[in-house]
Amino acid sequence: MATQLQTPGAIGPEAVTTRAANAPAWLAERRRAAWEAYTALPMPDRTRDEDWRRTDIRGLEPDEYVVDPGPTGHGAGLVEAMREMRDRIAPDAAFVASTRNGVRALEGAEALRAQGVTVCSLEDAAVHDEAAVRRALAHVPVDGSKFTALWNALWRGGCFVHVPTGVEAAVPIVAAHSAAGDHAAILPATVVVLEAGASLTLVELEASPAAQGTMLSDAVSILHLGEGSRLDHCLLQRWSASTWHLATHRGVLERDSRLRFFAATFGSRLQKVYWDALLEGQGADATLTGVCFGGGDQHLDHQSLQAHRAPATRSDLLLKVAVRDRAQSVYGGLITVDRAAQRTDGYVQNRNLMLSRGARASGIPMLEIKANDVRCSHGVTAGHIDTEQRFYLQSRGVDPEAADRLIVRGFMQDALDRSPHAGFAEFVGGVLDEVVAGHSAAGVEAEGLS
Amino acid sequence: MSDSARLVVEGLRARVEGKEILNGVDLVVPTGEVHALMGPNGSGKSTLAYTLLGHPNYEVTGGSASFDGTDLLPLAADERARLGMFLCFQYPTSIPGVSVVNFLRAALKAQGKEMPAREFLRTLSAVMGELKIDESFRSRYINDGFSGGEKKRMEILQLALLRPRLAVLDETDSGLDVDALRTVAEGVDRVRGTDMGVLVITHYPRILEYLRPDAVHVLHRGRVVVSGGHDLARRIEADGYDPILGAGAGTAAREGNP
Repeated sequence: MATQLQTPGAIGPEAVTTRAANAPAWLAERRRAAWEAYTALPMPDRTRDEDWRRTDIRGLEPDEYVVDPGPTGHGAGLVEAMREMRDRIAPDAAFVASTRNGVRALEGAEALRAQGVTVCSLEDAAVHDEAAVRRALAHVPVDGSKFTALWNALWRGGCFVHVPTGVEAAVPIVAAHSAAGDHAAILPATVVVLEAGASLTLVELEASPAAQGTMLSDAVSILHLGEGSRLDHCLLQRWSASTWHLATHRGVLERDSRLRFFAATFGSRLQKVYWDALLEGQGADATLTGVCFGGGDQHLDHQSLQAHRAPATRSDLLLKVAVRDRAQSVYGGLITVDRAAQRTDGYVQNRNLMLSRGARASGIPMLEIKANDVRCSHGVTAGHIDTEQRFYLQSRGVDPEAADRLIVRGFMQDALDRSPHAGFAEFVGGVLDEVVAGHSAAGVEAEGLS
Repeated sequence: MSDSARLVVEGLRARVEGKEILNGVDLVVPTGEVHALMGPNGSGKSTLAYTLLGHPNYEVTGGSASFDGTDLLPLAADERARLGMFLCFQYPTSIPGVSVVNFLRAALKAQGKEMPAREFLRTLSAVMGELKIDESFRSRYINDGFSGGEKKRMEILQLALLRPRLAVLDETDSGLDVDALRTVAEGVDRVRGTDMGVLVITHYPRILEYLRPDAVHVLHRGRVVVSGGHDLARRIEADGYDPILGAGAGTAAREGNP
């Protein structure tokens, strides 16, 4: 076997050792166990793994990507670009920005701290709020999958929010994750713990500049909703078109809690994203919404799980996808209903619009129902842009590109209307218009990046 | 061909889905005149409208069409619209998610007729009032869930706002009750200036009583076989197409098959 010189700071045992050295013992142990699991697990395979049947990640060599770049000089530009996005989406929001070098900005959290809300890096929280962090991390086991294992071993910085019992967070929080540079690997980490009756609006941004060479993003969000709590979670994915993006966004809902999750997907060369809503407590309620636009050779994979594990739980998922050029969207949606989860109401729908002959979009919904008093249904549609709609707009003088922009915007409108945060919906609508108009999906135009 | 002719169509042939529908249409609509195009079902009236406006499914196989001296045939639908052509659709398309107000602003902008927001809203309110369209339609999605009459009024609303130089009304009167017909006809009459040409495609002479056409043309088997004054429409109302087409159709057939 040929010995290869490892790139300094690349994904590998040394990076894990460095991370572990700076972590409390329990976390160091967890990181090492995760690395072992990662090295033991095979890469997902189209022929072997049902989840990956329609998504091919041959070509991704994680070991080639750099998690510890040392001082880069990128950081300030990236943070400033992300801050500008925060200003447009939610100018009142607290701001936590991470790059490969950890948390680089933490601003505007004074009002939250005065309420007793913890906002800090996940690294700090692992020291100062150990119980809450351990409880949350337990929702993403170290050996759950190849990429969650990698994340558990190597995440850095990260955004941690802990809202105490009964506290309604005074302002939203924007958690931004960004990276730049050829062969950069970033592992965005966001962990939210809401105690009983707490409420919060969280906006997560994942973005990188265009034309930075290939990148790898392996992200996990863990959202723990205590009894009767409410979380509005918005997520924007605008990685460069040469980024591999793997992610798990997992909400765990206790009794009578309510999650409104809204995700907008524009970037990456390939993404495999899991949305998991685990409805553990009676009366828990999750609304999941996605808008996704793909072009070029993008391959965008969403996979959702609505797991009804207690009685009278409700879930409603809507994913709207438009694809152009040779882009492909694949979606798999599973609703499970445990025997105990009577009076469950579960709904999943996926609507796809194809703007070019070479673009493909498909959805496969599945139901696994073990209870007998439930209401569950699903719907999937896929169609091409309507010639008559385009002609109607053109007949009023609107050029074909602007016509498509209007039609795509119209197609997405009912999903955009479900955004729990108006500023976010408006921002995403604007990004959608830009991307449909042919501008880059990449999310930051940072100064001084080479 | 007159210098003041707005629309000049000569020997226009077109097919849709491989089927020849227009077999050499000749038609001139001078500036400021209202012309009616009549003819039995399947004679090619709507095909002519779509062909003139540049629908991508309608393929021109011969002849010419020009607008104020500009050759229409190489132009895409949106370019023709920006020249000042307008089609009142027989079956307007619905576009869910796109609000009427956003659509109208996009159309005005595309045609270089943008107005400041306040002026736009004031104009829109005034025109909606005249056409008896409820203000709530501003935020509704284009033609989505509209009744037949509402769709037709929305077409006239666009006509009034965009102020084209040639309006083609494709059976705008069909499916309307008498009151709606009067509203629509009055709407057309109101925006009909000295400059705007109008081509009214219709089965029914009633709308012509409101619009008083300068000329009436009868299309049959993809050709204009008879032209005349308003009285031609009245004769069709009284006697049907047969007495007229008997001669006209024969002529067309002879010319088509020498």
